[in-house]
Amino acid sequence: MRRVVITGLGAVSPHGIRFSDLWQGLLAGRSSIAALAQFDPSGFPSQVAGTVPAFKTTDYVPKSYRKATKIMARDIELAVVAADGAVRDARLATRGIVEASGGSVPGPDWHAVDPRRVGCNIGAGLICADLNELCQAMAQAKNSDGTLSLARWGKSEDPSKTSGMDNLTPLWLLKYLPNMLACHVSIIHDTQGPSNTITCEQASAGLALAEACRTIQRGQADVALVGGCESMIHPMGLMRWSLLGRVNNTANPAGACRPYDRRAAGTVVAEGGAVLVIEELEHAQKRNAHIYCEIAGLAAASSGRKLGEPDPTGESAAFAIAKAMRDAGITSAEVQAIVPPGSSVPTYDQSDVAAISRVFGKAAEVVLAPARGGVGDCSAGSQAIDLAAAAMALHEQKLWPAADSDQPLADVRMLATQQPMSLQNVLVFASSLAGQHSAVMLRKWQ
Amino acid sequence: MANRVVITGMGWVTPLGHDIEQVWQRLLRAESGIAPITLFDARTFPTTFAAEVKDYQLPAALRQSGMHQEISRATGFALAAATQAWEQAGLPAPRTPGHARLDPYSIGMYLGSGEGSLDFGTFTEVTLGAWDQSAGTVATGSWAKSAMRRFNAMREIEQEPCMPLTHLSLEFNARGPAMNCLTACAASTQALGEATQIIRRGDAEIMISGGAHSMIHPFGVTGFNRLTALSTMNDDPRRSCRPFDATRAGFVLGEGAGILILESLEHAVRRNATILAEIVGYGSSADAYRVTDQHPEGRGAVVAIEEALRDAALSVDDIDYINAHGTGTKENDSTETLAIKHVFGPRAKSVPISSIKSMMGHLIAAAGAVEAITCVLAIRDQVLPPTANYCVPDPECDLDYVPNEARKAKVNVAMSNSFGFGGQNDTLIVRRFAD
Repeated sequence: MRRVVITGLGAVSPHGIRFSDLWQGLLAGRSSIAALAQFDPSGFPSQVAGTVPAFKTTDYVPKSYRKATKIMARDIELAVVAADGAVRDARLATRGIVEASGGSVPGPDWHAVDPRRVGCNIGAGLICADLNELCQAMAQAKNSDGTLSLARWGKSEDPSKTSGMDNLTPLWLLKYLPNMLACHVSIIHDTQGPSNTITCEQASAGLALAEACRTIQRGQADVALVGGCESMIHPMGLMRWSLLGRVNNTANPAGACRPYDRRAAGTVVAEGGAVLVIEELEHAQKRNAHIYCEIAGLAAASSGRKLGEPDPTGESAAFAIAKAMRDAGITSAEVQAIVPPGSSVPTYDQSDVAAISRVFGKAAEVVLAPARGGVGDCSAGSQAIDLAAAAMALHEQKLWPAADSDQPLADVRMLATQQPMSLQNVLVFASSLAGQHSAVMLRKWQ
Repeated sequence: MANRVVITGMGWVTPLGHDIEQVWQRLLRAESGIAPITLFDARTFPTTFAAEVKDYQLPAALRQSGMHQEISRATGFALAAATQAWEQAGLPAPRTPGHARLDPYSIGMYLGSGEGSLDFGTFTEVTLGAWDQSAGTVATGSWAKSAMRRFNAMREIEQEPCMPLTHLSLEFNARGPAMNCLTACAASTQALGEATQIIRRGDAEIMISGGAHSMIHPFGVTGFNRLTALSTMNDDPRRSCRPFDATRAGFVLGEGAGILILESLEHAVRRNATILAEIVGYGSSADAYRVTDQHPEGRGAVVAIEEALRDAALSVDDIDYINAHGTGTKENDSTETLAIKHVFGPRAKSVPISSIKSMMGHLIAAAGAVEAITCVLAIRDQVLPPTANYCVPDPECDLDYVPNEARKAKVNVAMSNSFGFGGQNDTLIVRRFAD
């Protein structure tokens, strides 16, 4: 079977707009969670967020594509920036990269690829419409009792005036389709191979990576851009997670997100994600690509339970973890670290620990390195961040700490400071709020 | 050697009815499910009609199970369609001893389902109530206070596109691989294709696959009206969708679900299941062209069709019927015709092609699944559903579109195309089952 390796990393996270920012933030055990500033959060019980520092999307697309940035929701912008980082890191001279460097391949170590052999599989979530944009149109069709007049939304009574809906840009819908993350990325980088958009919340990125990896194993592509991005920093997103009781109701960013800690009191809304370049081994070797690690095992499962009620026994997640190990041909003793989905939501954290304990005996037999403590939960982007960070950990043989989780749950072992570690196999698993699991085993490249 | 993948059960909830045989007969009679919108007052919208699912209620057993409250319209359609499919497949009903003996981890799911509809009344009132006209912004501080009181937590979270998956997992205790993809109008064809791959490589023995979607709500219709993608033939809804006709002027929004039970051949044979057809080919590609338009030469569509043929190890001469994406927009139908001609060459003229969207509208994410079911029924009954409302030939669409009347035909192999906004292309090939 064709082997698949990771050759490019791009991440956009509250730690910064480059993968190196994420990596340095993780190693330092820094928290980039801060007061929520995108909108006035005063009416919400939770007022902190993991916000990506300012950037201009137009800096990350070729000139000919700048106009298209006007129809990108925040989630799409994040994916475009993350993909740019991944493709550059992998030294792939895609259409967008060549155009941005004046029509030529940027350097001798850059390589063109056959667009038909490149896939794109980027997980996404339910993208919320911008409230101001939508409401300025709705306000044109407001009834005196405060409701929306559907009649005037459809057509103005005064023929010289526009209807409510006419105040929306004609391409309004296209800003908010989840598949637009992959579509814009596929257009910018001219990836014409299999493309997909998996929408399974926190499990999306691992499922996307797995599917693209199978495509390469089968021989239908040689390279794929994979990952996920999402922004939960939206009044609708915060409202939904607040009503579910999923977020930490605090205005104090310090220690707001403590995965697997006894003081965990909910998660923090965040934005971000990552895109990885995955590549068939010989294809990567032929072009002398830098290899971070190998994708050794893949599995998925579903909990069969209601949303919001994770399995306290961790059975279905454990099934996925064990299957990913079998797929990689290894036993639990050969796994040195796990990047788990811990979001600091106690019931979910406990379910994760139960799943790990089922497979590893005691969870404490293996080091857990949750990545969300300092950045928060960006839903479909979360596991992409986990995967990119795990790939770098295998490459640098170094693991990051869970700085704010210094009172771990029973049987959980996490690092207090970054540590060099001999890492052969690192497991990245995630469970969505709605019960889907994805498990990816990454192996040191040698 | 990869496992062969067969279809053993099918179910749908569509604008033409809620069971396989009734809807199929109506399609063969070229009946229309398109009528004025009743789900909300659309009388002043540029488009006032759609293909709604009518007289629908969640089956009693599902209502009484206590597991599916507050679900979206799409999730309800998915549950009902899956229940039909599960029954047809002869699998033991949920909550029976036979069902308890199934290995839950051998049952996976891959859906192409859309998001649930917004709680429109609450959303518009809360948001307008916090509108600051002078600033031109929503005052989120007061928005939040009223939103936290008025929105319903479960109603909100049920809008996540993965929720149909979660409810099917609950209902059928399916704990194998579970994915939802949302690649616009190509989603459920892609789901079926990827579900096939999962069984081929042995990651599940049974896959519940297909899709569900409803965008017939004020902002859904608004979005497509603003794109000027919808037909606006308000005075004659039944004739509003005219795929491949020279006067075609847009698609018609539909809603519903199609669910298929896929199984490894070995598993189906071992339990003596009736095999309805085999999935033999799947191809997927991206146009990488524009978010608003298809590639003018159908570049990505050509690749998807060619890849599906290669995957099936079949030639164009083996294809007896093409169930077209055929939306009824100017662009789609001529581009799809070009792509078919490009791949099929001289054979293009003699392959019958039809679009059931002319009768049941465009089910968006769910369209591919109901079209795959249609292909299986065409193979079973050796008859092709027509393209309704085809009157004026278009020089750019000069193939055999099975106009207006169903046609008896030899059908062993059928192909289904689905293309989505943003340049997603997926093609599936199903074949009459033979050992």
